[in-house]
Amino acid sequence: MAFVGAFDRSASPCGAFVVALRMSDLALSSVLPEHILRQWPYAPRFARVNGWRMHYVDEGAGDPIVLLHGNPTWGFLYRDVVPPLVAAGYRVIVPDMIGFGLSEKPTREHAHSLDGHSANLVALVRQLGLRRMTLVCHDWGGPTGLSCALAHPERMRALVIMSTWAWPMPPAEFHTRIFPWRTMHAPLVGPYLLGRHNALAGRGVYLSVVDRERFRQRAQAAYEAVLPDPATRLLTWTWPRWIPLDEKGRATARFEWLEQRLARCKLPTLIIWGREDEVFDASTFAQRFKRLLPHAEGPHLVTGRHFLQEDSGPEIAALILEFVGRTPRTGDQ
Amino acid sequence: MTATVTVVEPPDLADKRRALVLAEDRVGHYPEFRDYFVRIFDLDRIGLARPGYLVAPSGGIYELVFVGRSGEAFPCGVEINAIVDALEPIDEGVVDRDLWAILHWMIAGVGTPWSVENLDATGRLYRLPAAGS
Repeated sequence: MAFVGAFDRSASPCGAFVVALRMSDLALSSVLPEHILRQWPYAPRFARVNGWRMHYVDEGAGDPIVLLHGNPTWGFLYRDVVPPLVAAGYRVIVPDMIGFGLSEKPTREHAHSLDGHSANLVALVRQLGLRRMTLVCHDWGGPTGLSCALAHPERMRALVIMSTWAWPMPPAEFHTRIFPWRTMHAPLVGPYLLGRHNALAGRGVYLSVVDRERFRQRAQAAYEAVLPDPATRLLTWTWPRWIPLDEKGRATARFEWLEQRLARCKLPTLIIWGREDEVFDASTFAQRFKRLLPHAEGPHLVTGRHFLQEDSGPEIAALILEFVGRTPRTGDQ
Repeated sequence: MTATVTVVEPPDLADKRRALVLAEDRVGHYPEFRDYFVRIFDLDRIGLARPGYLVAPSGGIYELVFVGRSGEAFPCGVEINAIVDALEPIDEGVVDRDLWAILHWMIAGVGTPWSVENLDATGRLYRLPAAGS
């Protein structure tokens, strides 16, 4: 990807430099189709985090709301959420996880770990000097975002939790099945199915929304376009392998830590879930978050399967605004 | 399809090249897959001394290069190379179908609880051309 234009350097409150590279319209349009660009009109910004180049958008002014995606999506997932939050007077930051979207995509499997991705987010939060922060977590944005939040509660104002989990194995019966989950990312099958054929960003997301025709017309190309080659899709089959299925899972200790910390967490929390979510079903997952965080509001059920933002973006934005507006402005330390 | 993939002796590589077509960094994510390759290619004895070779349904030969990594059981990874004429591009359609056949061969060899029926069902769910979708 070519970068054209001036470097815009500005010192963040914590003294580090954030580098915003302005790509030319030509460069961005070479990656994203026109009908996608019309839905995602935000200036691309880049920061060096934890050794990687992370893309994010940073719109509006006010207390920050950080919107976190998971596998295999990117910030575009929140395209219907961003405008209402900005209009209501919040600073909205939408990072693309390293390995997804317009961020750098390491081509070595060992470049990825749960703790590493959490540290990437911590680095961005520090560089941008974010305080009084609301983190909105979805899918792998849950374990990474919650790790960041629970390690730095002094920066936090509130949490919003959607279709994710934060405890050890097994996350769901779905994840223990040979068909399709374990076969999909099995050795060599994962690189073939999700790598050569981009099955998760295309067909996979399509199967996990309610209004599939609308998704196909408006959004599917956005997820496929940013993962153009097999090597760029590495994280789509690497992340599934980080879901612990037994006590030997690589992230088991971190999930145990997350569960223990969450049980002591007093941050204002809102739980939103897709009514039709079959991957992380509400009756199991939203209720388990509710037991861990009895003070949490919700779960509010909205129309949506796993990628609920695709079907209910404006409604999710309204729920976030109504909730955050009532929370104390903590997180200044 | 499974029966048409066979293990063969190292071929004559004169005027040939290796074209990397698939790579797996963590063949032991489910340990039974690593065990299968160890058993089929006698890797506990051979180690890194030489690759393994397969003939796929198209008649094409594929080389399996096993990768070691300090601190992990061997092999930790495997790279699949198509053995092709040195100056000729690969036929991507043929390679794709051959790789699907190699996956069949692997899954059938690994055995229960893995099955070619579930592999085919997964391929159809995600509408893979090689799965007849």
